[in-house]
Amino acid sequence: MVRTGLYLFAGLLLGLTIHLVVILVLPLLATTSATAKVTALTEPAKLQLLAEAPAGGPNPLRLDPYLSYAVCRLDLGKGPGVVSGTLPQAFWSVAVLGPDGTVIYSTTNRDGIGQQLDLGLFNPVQTRLLAEQQIDIEQGLLIVESPADNVFVVVRLAPEQPVMRERYEATLSGLACGNITL
Amino acid sequence: MRFLINLLLMLVVALGVGFGLSYYALSDGRFFGGYQVGPWAAWPRAGAPDPDPYTRAFLARNGAIQLGQSEGLQFVATADSDGHPLERDCTYRIDGTTPIATFWTLVPTATDGSDIALPGGPPGFHSQRVARNNDGSLQLYVGKKLRPRNWLEIAGDGPYWLVLTLYDTAIFSGVSSAATALPSIIREDC
Repeated sequence: MVRTGLYLFAGLLLGLTIHLVVILVLPLLATTSATAKVTALTEPAKLQLLAEAPAGGPNPLRLDPYLSYAVCRLDLGKGPGVVSGTLPQAFWSVAVLGPDGTVIYSTTNRDGIGQQLDLGLFNPVQTRLLAEQQIDIEQGLLIVESPADNVFVVVRLAPEQPVMRERYEATLSGLACGNITL
Repeated sequence: MRFLINLLLMLVVALGVGFGLSYYALSDGRFFGGYQVGPWAAWPRAGAPDPDPYTRAFLARNGAIQLGQSEGLQFVATADSDGHPLERDCTYRIDGTTPIATFWTLVPTATDGSDIALPGGPPGFHSQRVARNNDGSLQLYVGKKLRPRNWLEIAGDGPYWLVLTLYDTAIFSGVSSAATALPSIIREDC
């Protein structure tokens, strides 16, 4: 009986080890991450509007049906990234996500940006060059440093009424997205 | 023979505890990383640049485009305030107040994330398009049977989730309303 108890205790310890391994390894093995899905939907350095999920239809990225989304995937190894343009006065936000789907940076137009989005993305080497004034950038560029080269930028825009959606999405698709050539 | 039985028992316990605990922990963050108020669960670190390992595993499993911390926070309810799983054959009243946010949306979804609101109608509730009481509180009804005031008709059968997304909220800043201001989910009838 004592021996069986010891085996059960060993099973419990082994179970806790398996649990910790699962938690730590899952992000490395997952094929359904947001990054994998966005990569399949987009081309590098090209802004892509994400289609609204139809009622009852699949919504793999779990998008809010009340918002319009634009995504731009960038490889900072090809040069610093820029996402810029003018957006409507409605609520909008921008987030920069790393290759593992974590949000590196985010902000909203409530933070004093107004209607103009001018976001510059730099990897650590480019940030150093920027500090040494070896890269020329536009004045007023919101500078974000990314530890990884492969990032994607998500712009969310909230039309006040459904009837405004089409017009707002046209504005959203007019955002510029690409790499600066050094 | 006894050795083999003990070994088998140990492996069953190890696999059950290991994978069961992982599933349970990542369902709504019941151990680490999650934040629960009544039926509502959120992962506050999901929008942070340095999430903890449990939140990181949740992000990988969930596969959604996460909201950054300054963009907002998402709460998900899989059960009502009494702990019963949400069923499409029942009518629920979402009753109370919401934390301060620029706006919020409340969308019923199937477990795979698809919207289950009746096609042709609104996909959910929007804070700027609901009728409120004089004190700012609200009663929202979700179900197949007609209800007064704010009613959202849903379609299909089976379990579902309610997804409450607060945009531009200061819920965890300590200077705004507390997360305890989340509404209750009351089952009316089935």
